Amino acid sequence: MSADLDATAAVPAPIRFDVPAPRESASTEALAAPAAVAHASDRGARIVAVAIALAWHLAIGLPAVLAARAEFAAPVVVIGGWVLVLAAGTTAGVLLLRDTPLPPWPLAGLLVVVDAAVFAAAGERQLFTAANWVWGTLGWFFLLALWGRRVAGLVALLTAHAVIALVAVLGHGIDEADLARYVMYVYGTFSLPVAIFVGSTMIVGLGRDRAAAAAAMHTMAAERDAAERGLRERRDRLALVGATAGRVLGELAAGQADPDDPEVQRRCVLAAARLRRLIAESDDVPDPLLHELRAAADLAERNGLPIDLVTIGSPPPLPVEIRRQLADPLTALLAGARDWARLTVVSGPDEVVVSLVTPDRPGPEATGPPPGEYDDGPVQHLYERDGDIRWAQTRWRR
Amino acid sequence: MGADPVAEMTGGRPVGVAIVDDHPVVVDGVRAWLATEARLTVLATGDDPDEVLRAAPHADVVLLDLRLHGRMALDKLAELSAAGRRVVVYSEHTDPDTMLAALDAGAVAFLAKHEGREHCVATVLAAASDRPYVPPALAGAMVGDPRPDRPMLSDKEREALLLWFQSMSKASVARRMQISEHTVKQYVDRARIKYTRAGRPAATKAALLARAIEDGLVRPEEIGIYRSQATHDRPTP
Repeated sequence: MSADLDATAAVPAPIRFDVPAPRESASTEALAAPAAVAHASDRGARIVAVAIALAWHLAIGLPAVLAARAEFAAPVVVIGGWVLVLAAGTTAGVLLLRDTPLPPWPLAGLLVVVDAAVFAAAGERQLFTAANWVWGTLGWFFLLALWGRRVAGLVALLTAHAVIALVAVLGHGIDEADLARYVMYVYGTFSLPVAIFVGSTMIVGLGRDRAAAAAAMHTMAAERDAAERGLRERRDRLALVGATAGRVLGELAAGQADPDDPEVQRRCVLAAARLRRLIAESDDVPDPLLHELRAAADLAERNGLPIDLVTIGSPPPLPVEIRRQLADPLTALLAGARDWARLTVVSGPDEVVVSLVTPDRPGPEATGPPPGEYDDGPVQHLYERDGDIRWAQTRWRR
Repeated sequence: MGADPVAEMTGGRPVGVAIVDDHPVVVDGVRAWLATEARLTVLATGDDPDEVLRAAPHADVVLLDLRLHGRMALDKLAELSAAGRRVVVYSEHTDPDTMLAALDAGAVAFLAKHEGREHCVATVLAAASDRPYVPPALAGAMVGDPRPDRPMLSDKEREALLLWFQSMSKASVARRMQISEHTVKQYVDRARIKYTRAGRPAATKAALLARAIEDGLVRPEEIGIYRSQATHDRPTP
């Protein structure tokens, strides 16, 4: 068996446990995706709203205004209002499509003023014709002005629009036919913009919810995959460790191995260390920092170093830079460790302390950073040797 | 403290130990460890706590494997501790939650099975005289205790626990903290005594606390107000 502990003493066993590192930040992804979907649906609805407003203004309003220009009470006001709304509407449309915030209430105020002026200037004969362009068109521009806000604002503007129109209709004398036409017009100008406004808001919300649900499912599936892979990997290692420990025990029981033989003792120590580490791994989806440290410990162990890795608590999510600062110096030292090593991690919400203790060997072959204490950003490093042990500690504090 | 605190307690006779474990090979191993210490004698062994204690009703210390026949014997531990039995739990289950639960239930000490002979003998001797002994694995569980109602430890006590957990060498901790080994032990033991205030009351906890006051490890006026004394760091003489 290629992974026999005997073999690991001389050459690293050719076994690799390829466990993908846990995902960096499933939670931020889970938040970003629904927002992107919502943004995309909202953009589609904005394009539709801008296109309707400008097309209506140009294709229906303009020819009617031009045809009836001689018949208005005050043609300059009606045509001037049309030009003003074209300019304001185009600006609003461009801002809306560029995601730049509009000044909603000044714009709405301007539209209401133009509304009142045009009703007053259109004159009785043009009141119910397409030449009184504010009737049908202005509702769409209200929509642009108040895009993304609550529907109550739009209803208030449309109500103001209906009141202005009512005053104009009554101003020309009470006529039952005119009142009936008025009600029809109000219904038409209210219903479509409100329907599009509410519909687009609902579609955006639905899109966001569905995307959020899909992202949550993906996150869960990814975590389940990682957990299953972790479990498989642990089972493989257990089989490996079980076989090697069983072999040593079998040889001891059969009298083939001598308990006083240092080599037999070393094999027992290695098998026990491996079993202990397996028992200690209780997390389903390993934290990235613990994952890195375990990988380093596995590597050192396959090179024949008995190593204890003891973890207390779960590290909070840490930026990759901090994780590097915490883990890298210790994993580098671990590669040069002899005889035994003890790697510990103590984590709380505001502090993570990683420590590596190995026997101290005098002489120039000892490598690594010089003894001392220094800070590297939020991570404090400490290296020490006292003749008995070499002690390296990295400590992050929030 | 006298020359031999254990002899003081037992009147010179060896400390009687009962071993409860469902693996005969472990019982034999622990018995062999304890046999290296003349002040200890194993009175009874077995896999049922009640039977073992019937065989050795005067055992000073009970070494209890926390996992008996596939289940955690925490309720048994609480029952024995409430009755004043000094129980040293030893287990291969060294997750911090289990260790802290054992302390809460009244265990005098918690020993990880892999921590070896020296810690085992030292823990049993300390337990016999109602004195704390904190092996490195337990120190790790205490320093990483995430529970909101955990005892408040001073900075020095936390640091001593952390470094002891990391290095397993009090001499190295002493050098690193620039204090004596004796003071390191005091910080660690004081942290342990604070844990007698956690969980349900037990006769064993009261005994640990009383002995700590007698030894001058904590002062009587500190009892019950540890939370407000968290920054009090001066080691007692």
